[in-house]
Amino acid sequence: MAGNRPIKFRILELCNDNGKWNYEIVKQIQKEYNLKGNFQRDSINFDIIELASGGMIKDIEVKVDEDGIYKKGFLLHKYVLTDFGKIRAADACLMYV
Amino acid sequence: MDLKLLKTQEHKRRVKFGYMWALFCAVLWGLWYIPGTVVWVLNPFDEMYGEIAATNGDGMALVIVAVLITAFNALTVMLALMVWNGALGKFGEMKRTLKEFHPCSKWFFLASIFGGPMAILGSFIAMGFVGGAFAAVAALMYPVIGSILAQKWYGEKISKRAFLGIGFIILGGITIFGGGVLSELGSGNVAWIGYLGGLMAAAGWGIEGAIAGKGLDIAEPDVGLTLRFVGENIIWWIIIVPLLAIVGFPMFKYALLAFEPMTLLVLIFAGITFGFCYVTWYKSFPLIGVGRGQGIGNLYGLFAVIFIFLFFGDVPSWTILLGGALCLGGSTIMFSEDTGEMESLRGD
Repeated sequence: MAGNRPIKFRILELCNDNGKWNYEIVKQIQKEYNLKGNFQRDSINFDIIELASGGMIKDIEVKVDEDGIYKKGFLLHKYVLTDFGKIRAADACLMYV
Repeated sequence: MDLKLLKTQEHKRRVKFGYMWALFCAVLWGLWYIPGTVVWVLNPFDEMYGEIAATNGDGMALVIVAVLITAFNALTVMLALMVWNGALGKFGEMKRTLKEFHPCSKWFFLASIFGGPMAILGSFIAMGFVGGAFAAVAALMYPVIGSILAQKWYGEKISKRAFLGIGFIILGGITIFGGGVLSELGSGNVAWIGYLGGLMAAAGWGIEGAIAGKGLDIAEPDVGLTLRFVGENIIWWIIIVPLLAIVGFPMFKYALLAFEPMTLLVLIFAGITFGFCYVTWYKSFPLIGVGRGQGIGNLYGLFAVIFIFLFFGDVPSWTILLGGALCLGGSTIMFSEDTGEMESLRGD
């Protein structure tokens, strides 16, 4: 169910499979939770950074945002769920074991 | 531009913001000890103290008044955080998080038990019995308990250097408690309950941090903190204050008298400084790591001693100064660690 559970749960779900780029996650969350504007965009991106620093997700690919998909000249990160993230997520929002 | 350069730049920018948040936290936390100390001499708390002391003795009066002050502190912190969440447009997320009792809100309510009745009440008791400077410096010990628990319980990374820093903080703590107790034993006047309050503050905040970390790693910190204070308000206003009133203490009589302009102003000042010190604290963690966030945050001890000196002219005794210096030294060792290793806080 979209837009019904805490945003970070959804981010973990989105990173579950083959990984996702941060701009893809941000865009999808903005759509699902009906969050508009640059402030909300940055706030969702900060959620992603928090999850990464907590070791729940990690970046597997980095590229420069040449075309301004997200923020021109800045870095884009592709994130995937870590093993630790899988354990935590299984407890909260994802069904694994 | 090449990728490596951009990566270092991004990392540097993050670390800079992280330090900025942590420093804000330290200043706000240090400031909190001013309203925290002033509120004791304001009415209705002063009168309440007198009334209870007349029948139940000084010690009991202090604890009961500390309960009411802590309850008001929790209330104003919650209000400040509600305004903050409103401004950020996060009420929707708050509802979503609250509903997730098992993975999220359970931890926040559990954290509020240790943060509120243990840490904050302990701080107010220490402020009332011994003094603001002592309360501030005693609580510096909390990262010791917090980081050991976090490591044992969910494997948060702690480096050798962090352990060294923690060692210094323990030494500092012993100086603060031991020194004060020794000099007061000599004069035959041990405010043991004040020291117990200091210990409660350190242990409570350490345990709170470890428990809250469990819920916060998958929730929004702004929202999580607010829920933690909602929990604390439930504990005070629905459980403890009514219980004390039933036992016969004049809780509600004085609670209603608190709506005086000066008292309200001081309480709101306490709510704002304390609420936002928590917010900035948590903002710093993902950017510089918990160890360093707490290390810098710990500078509040220094700020508190400075502010208390500036506002009240209290010169703290040498044991508190020496112990505080050791704690700050330990914090410096923790936060001067090389930043390269800190990209993630946990082992995979």
